[in-house]
Amino acid sequence: MMKKQSSSKKMNPGVYFLINYSVPIIFTILVAFAIPLSKLSANYFVTEIMIRLSRNSFLILALLIPVMAGMGMNFGIVLGAMAGEIGLIFITDWQIVGMPGFLLAILISTPLAIIFGYFAGIVLNRAKGREMVTGFMVSFFMNGIYQLIVLYGMGNIIPILNPSILLPRGYGIRNAISLIGIRQVLDKLIPLKIGGILIPVATFLVITTLCVFIAWFRKTKLGQNMRTVGQDNEVARISGINVERTRILSIVISTVLACYGQIIFLQNIGTMNTYNSHEQVGVFAIAALLVGGASVAKANIPHVFIGVILFHTMFVVSPRAGKELMGQAQLGEYFRVFVSYGVIAFSLALYAWRKRVEKENERKKIMGYRKSILVK
Amino acid sequence: MRKRIIIRTTLVAVLILIGIFLYTIGQEHKVIIDNKDIIVNGNTYNASTVYKIWVDNQEIGVIEKNGRAVTKVTGVSHKIVIEAISDQALSGEKHERIFKFKSNEGAVINIPAMVNALNEWIDKTN
Repeated sequence: MMKKQSSSKKMNPGVYFLINYSVPIIFTILVAFAIPLSKLSANYFVTEIMIRLSRNSFLILALLIPVMAGMGMNFGIVLGAMAGEIGLIFITDWQIVGMPGFLLAILISTPLAIIFGYFAGIVLNRAKGREMVTGFMVSFFMNGIYQLIVLYGMGNIIPILNPSILLPRGYGIRNAISLIGIRQVLDKLIPLKIGGILIPVATFLVITTLCVFIAWFRKTKLGQNMRTVGQDNEVARISGINVERTRILSIVISTVLACYGQIIFLQNIGTMNTYNSHEQVGVFAIAALLVGGASVAKANIPHVFIGVILFHTMFVVSPRAGKELMGQAQLGEYFRVFVSYGVIAFSLALYAWRKRVEKENERKKIMGYRKSILVK
Repeated sequence: MRKRIIIRTTLVAVLILIGIFLYTIGQEHKVIIDNKDIIVNGNTYNASTVYKIWVDNQEIGVIEKNGRAVTKVTGVSHKIVIEAISDQALSGEKHERIFKFKSNEGAVINIPAMVNALNEWIDKTN
């Protein structure tokens, strides 16, 4: 009689849940500890979270599609952010204000985002298995090109008509540009005040539309192709899917969405730091998504919103909590920065460990099956 | 293949047209309104009284004699309405003009020229 060999121990569901959701659990504990310590009023806290949800969600939703295609966390969304900023520089130069300015910025930056995304997709295709670090490096590279164009090209080769955004030397864009013409143009499009808290209805409608789009996209042929590519490149290739083209498309879509997300972000803030606004976009967006319980291989819409709420609550409460606890607000800020980078490192390490354990379990299963055949 | 090229070219053309439309209706123009004496063809037209100003039905304010107001308007076509103030009340004497902008234009409007229906009531600037 064939002896059934138990090849792998089944993990306790509770332990499995704790390991899988360790990051959001840790963050929830930290936030639960920091909120009462910060002594912030409920009204202020809710207002801040509302603003940050409307400001950041679109950018983080842009990360979902590359995860679906098996490309991990797309650090290359910085390229999309840069494309958005170039669009905003032009509309500020031409003094286009209001909703026409906002829409024109989107129109101008879309082809740029497509080109940047295509370039990033080609590079990432040559670095299969190392997409995240390659995306990180590509974003640094493109930052250099962006600075070359904006700091030297604009005003020199690219004519800039509005002298107020140029540096005193006559070329190069100033460090900070006021976006007063399009400030909160989307947020205040459909104003709604509940209990003294202004709710940016139009922005939330746009975010909802994107969520519906992502949910619909998953069911389309291209979406299914991306999921197949994400699960196994070789199986996808044998099935007749053009793996390289599908991967490039996922990065292009992500970059374009990141471009729109950055425009939405900056219209809320009302000021653009020409050379800094896009720098932390990738890291903070990815950190927020990971805090929400996503992993390098799996990310869904609820992870985005949970992540924004938890991660940005840390932004809001850490300086005050640090001041109350240690007498220095700056220490709270250092703690927040440490946690932001730390959560990415922890999530990636956890993912790598889980993949290794799963591979080991698979190998044991196969060995056990082979042994059972031999015994037979 | 040919159909795809035609559709894509049409889409790009439509997007360019939308861009031009947004550029035109969204551009901000500076309007300077002067209540100052003006000399036209050797004749002097004096700023005689205080005026209340509306541009596109938005109240800009009151301009004293030899005063100036600055406002910004968005889009192509605009309407300016001025009404004289005498004895600290609106006199009912209204003057209305429509003016249009091209790309990257501003305007300097002179109230005495406007009141006297002169062609030089508006001076377009780049």
